[in-house]
Amino acid sequence: MTSYNGPAQYGFAERWLPRLVLAPSFLLTLVFVYGFILWNGYLSFTTSRLLPNYEWAGLAQYTTLFANERWWVAVKNLFIFGSLFIGGAMAVGIFLAVLLDQKVRQEGALRTLYLYPMALSFIVTGTAWKWMLNPGLGLEKLVQDWGFTNFTFDWLVNPDMSIYTVVIAGIWQSSGFVMALFLAGLRGIDDSIIKAAQIDGASLPRIYWKIVLPALRPVFFSTLMILAHIAIKSFDLVMALTGGGPGFSSDVPATFMYSTAFTRGQMGVGAASAMMMLMTVAAIVVPYLYSELRGSRNG
Amino acid sequence: MGALAIKNVTKSFGDTHILKGIDIHIEAGEFLILVGPSGCGKSTLMNIIAGLEAPTTGEVHIGERIVNNVAPKDRDIAMVFQSYALYPTMNVRKNIAFGMETRGVPKKEQDEIIARVSKMLQIDHLLDRKPGQLSGGQRQRVAMGRALARDPKLFLFDEPLSNLDAKLRVEMRTEIKQLHHRLKTTIVYVTHDQIEAMTLGDKIAVMKDGIIQQFGSPEEIYERPSNLFVAGFIGSPSMNFVECHLAEQGGEYGVSLQSEGDARFVALPNGARLADRIGQKVILGVRPEQIEVAEEGEPGLACKVHLTEPTGPDTMIFTQVNGKEVVARVHPRAARHPGETMRLKLDMGKVVLFDPQTELRLV
Repeated sequence: MTSYNGPAQYGFAERWLPRLVLAPSFLLTLVFVYGFILWNGYLSFTTSRLLPNYEWAGLAQYTTLFANERWWVAVKNLFIFGSLFIGGAMAVGIFLAVLLDQKVRQEGALRTLYLYPMALSFIVTGTAWKWMLNPGLGLEKLVQDWGFTNFTFDWLVNPDMSIYTVVIAGIWQSSGFVMALFLAGLRGIDDSIIKAAQIDGASLPRIYWKIVLPALRPVFFSTLMILAHIAIKSFDLVMALTGGGPGFSSDVPATFMYSTAFTRGQMGVGAASAMMMLMTVAAIVVPYLYSELRGSRNG
Repeated sequence: MGALAIKNVTKSFGDTHILKGIDIHIEAGEFLILVGPSGCGKSTLMNIIAGLEAPTTGEVHIGERIVNNVAPKDRDIAMVFQSYALYPTMNVRKNIAFGMETRGVPKKEQDEIIARVSKMLQIDHLLDRKPGQLSGGQRQRVAMGRALARDPKLFLFDEPLSNLDAKLRVEMRTEIKQLHHRLKTTIVYVTHDQIEAMTLGDKIAVMKDGIIQQFGSPEEIYERPSNLFVAGFIGSPSMNFVECHLAEQGGEYGVSLQSEGDARFVALPNGARLADRIGQKVILGVRPEQIEVAEEGEPGLACKVHLTEPTGPDTMIFTQVNGKEVVARVHPRAARHPGETMRLKLDMGKVVLFDPQTELRLV
C-alpha cells in the first residue's frame, strides 16, 4: 500500500460542487433578506411616499413616525401583547407540561391534541377566534341564549380591550408548543432527583418550583426567544382577528407598517417603522445568539 | 430492637409479579445487603422500603412503626441513589441543606450539621460548587452527605458505587464500611456486585425472580449456599459444579471423579447421611480455592492444565473434571503451564452437594 502524506487531492468537481449547490440559496438569501433589509434601511432615510424614490431626507421619516399617535398605540399594544402573550403562553404551557409529566394515560394523544393549534396558521386561528368572540355570533350570544341575558363579552369590538383578544388567541395557539418544549425538558430530568426530593420531604409544587424548573433554564430561554420574536413579528393574527381595529386600537407595529407603507402611501414612514422592529428583534436575538455560540465553542 | 422488618411483602403489576412474598428482619445497626441479578426485584423492594412505591400486600415496619401508609418524608430514612440525584441547580451546600430547610431545621443548626458532615466526608472545600463541577467520586460523597445530614433511623443505598470507576469503587466501599462502623447506623444497601455484598454486609439477602433465595450472614451464604443459584452467584470465580454419582466404597460414602486420564474415588466426611441416595446423581459444588495441589505422597487427581490466568497473588488453573470445566485457585509457584499435568485434591470438608432436580443443597 502506498501512503501519501499531504493535503488530500480533490478533483475540480469535488472542490466546486458544494459551493455550486449552496450558491442559489446563498444568493437568494443575500438578495432577498439582507439586500432588502439594506434597501428598506435606505428608503427610511428618503422622502418616499406612494412609490420609492431616492431623495435623501435624513431622519425626517423617523421624526414623523415618532410624532404619530397611531405608532405609539401600536408600540403600547406590542408591549401589552408581548408581555401577556409570552407570560401567558409560558405559564399555560409549563402547567400543561407538568400535568402531562405525571405519567398520565393516553399521554401521546393528549400531547398531539395540545400541539394541534400550532399546526394551524395564525390566519385560521384569528378567523376562528373572530367568530367565537363576535358578540352577535359567538360566546356572548351563546351564554345569552342560555338565559344569562346580562352577560356581555364584547372585547373584540371594544377599543380598550381589543388587544386582549389577540392575547387570548395567541396564547391558545402557542401554549401547546411551549408545553412540548418543556415536556421534552422535563423528560430529561433524572427520575431519582424527584425521588430524592420526595424523601427530603418536599411537596410536589416545591419540587417543581425549586428543583425541576430551575434545571430547565436553557429551555426557558429558548422558549422566550421563540415567543418574543413571534410576538414582535405578529401580523397575521391581528389582521385576521381584529384587522387592527376597532379603529386602530389593536394595531401592532407590523400592521402599522403594512398600512402606512402599502395602503396609506407613506412608504418612508413604513420603512422607518420596519427598521424600528428590526432593531427590537436584533436587540433580543443578537445577545442571545452571541451567548449561545460562545457557549457551544467553550463546551 | 428490630430496625426494619418486612413481612410477606408482594408487588404485582397486573399479572407480572415482581416480588413474591419477601420476609426480612434486621436489628438496629446492621448492614443489610440486597443482592441479585438485574430484574430480581431488589430495587423495587428498596423503593417499597423508602415508600416510593406501595407494596401490593404485606407490611413494612421501620423501628416500631408500620409504615405502609407513611409518606417517604415521614419514614425517617435517607437514601443515596445510583445516579446520585443531586439537585443540579443548587451548590453542594444547598443540596445538603435542602432537606433540612424543608423540615424547618433552624438555620444555625443547619450550618453546624453541614460543617460536621462535610468535614467527615472531606467535601468542605467543595461546598460552593455546583454538582456539574464535581467528579463522580465527589458527587458520591455529596449524595452521602445529604443522607448523613438527616441522621435517619435507616439509610438506603441504591447501587451507590456502580457509576464509579473500579479503583474509586473499592475506595468508596471501604469508606462506607468505615462510616458504618463509626456511626453504627442501620443500612439497607442494594447492589448487583457480589463482592460489595460480601465485603459490606452483616446480613445478605440474595434475590432472584422476586424471591429471597437465601438470607444470612456472608459466611453462611458463602460456605453453605442454600441452592445452586446462590452458590453460583456469590464468589468470584464462581463455584465449580461437577456432576457425579454418589457411591459406597469400602464402607465409605463418596463420589468418583474423572479427569482426562485419571480417575479416583473421594470419600465425603460424614457421608453416611446420604446413604439413601447411593447411586443417585448429585452436583458437587467446590469453590476454586477449595481445590489444592496434592503434596508428594498425598492422594490426588492428575489433571491436565488447559489454561492459566495469573491474577498476581493467585493463579487460576482451568482443567476438566467429569466432563465439566473446573477452575482451581492455586499459588503461582505451584501452577503448571497449559498442557502439563497437575495433581489436585479437593477440600472435602468444605464441598457442598446439590440435588440436580430441586437445585437445593443436600449437606
